[in-house]
Amino acid sequence: MSNAWSIYIIVLAVGNILAMVWLLIITNRDNGVDASDTTGHKWDGIEELNNPLPRWWLGLFIITIIFAGVYLYLYPGLGSYKGSLNWSQMSEYRQARDANEEIQAEFFAEFVSYDIPALAKSERAMATGERLFANNCTTCHGSGGRGAKGFPNLTDNDWLYGNQPETILASIENGRAGVMPNLNLNSATVAVLARYLKHLSGEDGISDHVIDSGPKRFAVCAACHGADGKGNQAIGAPNLTDGIWLHGGRVSDIENVLRHGMQGNMPSFANALNSNEIRLLAAYVISLSSSNMADGSNTADGSNTADGSNTTEDE
Amino acid sequence: MKHETIEKNAGLMGVLIALVIAVAGMAEIVPLMFQAQTTEPSPGVIPYPAVELAGRDIYVKEGCYNCHSQMIRPFAVERLRYGPPSLAGESVYDRPHQWGSKRTGPDLARVGGRYTDEWHLIHLINPRDLVPESNMPGFPWLQDKEVDGELITTKMKTLKWMGHPYTDEQIEQASDTVHGVTEMEALIAYLQFLGVANNGRSQK
Ligand code: HEC
Ligand code: HEC
Ligand code: HEC
Repeated sequence: MSNAWSIYIIVLAVGNILAMVWLLIITNRDNGVDASDTTGHKWDGIEELNNPLPRWWLGLFIITIIFAGVYLYLYPGLGSYKGSLNWSQMSEYRQARDANEEIQAEFFAEFVSYDIPALAKSERAMATGERLFANNCTTCHGSGGRGAKGFPNLTDNDWLYGNQPETILASIENGRAGVMPNLNLNSATVAVLARYLKHLSGEDGISDHVIDSGPKRFAVCAACHGADGKGNQAIGAPNLTDGIWLHGGRVSDIENVLRHGMQGNMPSFANALNSNEIRLLAAYVISLSSSNMADGSNTADGSNTADGSNTTEDE
Repeated sequence: MKHETIEKNAGLMGVLIALVIAVAGMAEIVPLMFQAQTTEPSPGVIPYPAVELAGRDIYVKEGCYNCHSQMIRPFAVERLRYGPPSLAGESVYDRPHQWGSKRTGPDLARVGGRYTDEWHLIHLINPRDLVPESNMPGFPWLQDKEVDGELITTKMKTLKWMGHPYTDEQIEQASDTVHGVTEMEALIAYLQFLGVANNGRSQK
């Protein structure tokens, strides 16, 4: 703040307080109630006496003036004068922030030696993971991580990109962009393929015509979804045979995907969260689906085999 | 001065009241109008581009500020939830600013980049599709109307006159830029623009 502005503020603030003192002095009378001294107001013959301020009121007035003086001495208020306590809102904020970071550092120091599967089994770590997840992830992945249309369920054992610790870390840190292109399919192809996919995922009652002509039409899809339709985790192409649908499982939902293409974007958290937090979240995501990994191990190919189900993960 | 003189001259009394009230403003507000801290943009802060500017009007029109603040206060807990505290220099191109004080929903000062465009679209049509417990209303009608290019051009000219550094080129192209953009798209562009200069998502 420039000197001129500083002086301007000091003059106004101090001048204002002095004006109050002056007001008290010039209106001060201790002559008690004087029946002849009236304000000049007269209503129907009733006059208003010009009495001095009640003592208690005067006392309060003086206390506020003293308070103002003490306050302006201790705290910043007079232009660029910083106050004898040297307090500022920002310094208080920084102190609280640093104290908080210390607590965090202490907390995370406990877990430096843990790898992600081990973190996922620590109750203390997961309690914090749950809060981080609630603050950053539930709006998309739903409370409890169960997902919504277009936003994957993280509690099932069905992965778009895989559930190895490194892929989950990468999903959170760098974000993900899964692109199902619009392939400009004609409507007959769309209709057949949508029903063929229902057949692949185990639905009964699909016509022979669809089942016969499906594989031929599916050839263009195989590059991404694999010849068997079981997907490709490297590019986030979902398994189309497991009956779990990211964008809805009705024939009309699938047709919609085929007709227009579809994109799934997960924002990057690299700049919003620090690496400790991201590791904790990756562990929390693993813990969400850990019913299938009772022994805490997830095999190198990303399949969770503890209960023997689900060895082809996708979506 | 006698009571009577003041009390019987409404004009004089008005002037004296105004003076008393003005003292605080003269000390607390007037100097701020001349401080670099409050009048110069923080690093990376630029005036709203045409589409974002249009989106801002929709934000105001729909009363989003009734439930959302855009001011992260300097408390450690707010930093954990929303990011670093808002700076005065981040509001220099906000006329009027949308700081607000009511938080039925979360603060939006740094919401840019936090979600994807698809998320905002679904959320603005019906928040409960994504956040089942949300009490935010849906705004589906924003998809039906397009932004008025002429209005935005006029608005940018006015803002330029008030000191926002728009280039002539920007103003010339404004109408084309917003052509065919729905109110929904403009609003989402605005939300994605909020705080990105300083929210840690576009820069470390
Ligand atoms: C703006 C919405 C959004 C937010 C916020 C979000 N995600 Fe996601 N996330 C997505 C979408 C959409 C996908 C699917 C990406 C795709 O379709 O390719 C995804 C995918 C993922 C995956 C990969 C899932 C798989 O099957 O391979 C993981 C893991 C994940 N998110 C974790 C998180 C965590 C942890 C957070 C919180 C830090 C989070 N996400 C926040 C939208 C979001
Ligand atoms: C370039 C690679 C690519 C090609 C080619 C491709 N897909 Fe996809 N597909 C994807 C990706 C990636 C996704 C996931 C989109 C997302 O993340 O939201 C996807 C999603 C889908 C979905 C939605 C799945 C769900 O769970 O809701 C269907 C259905 C689908 N594809 C069918 C097909 C069919 C049928 C073809 C061939 C006509 C095809 N895809 C060709 C990459 C591809
Ligand atoms: C009645 C109060 C209310 C109004 C009006 C309202 N919101 Fe919300 N908003 C909420 C609540 C509550 C939440 C938190 C729950 C949720 O995500 O839906 C929220 C969440 C949000 C979020 C997500 C923020 C975050 O960080 O998670 C955005 C973005 C948002 N609102 C934008 C808007 C916009 C834009 C408008 C005006 C068109 C608006 N809101 C009007 C109450 C409101």
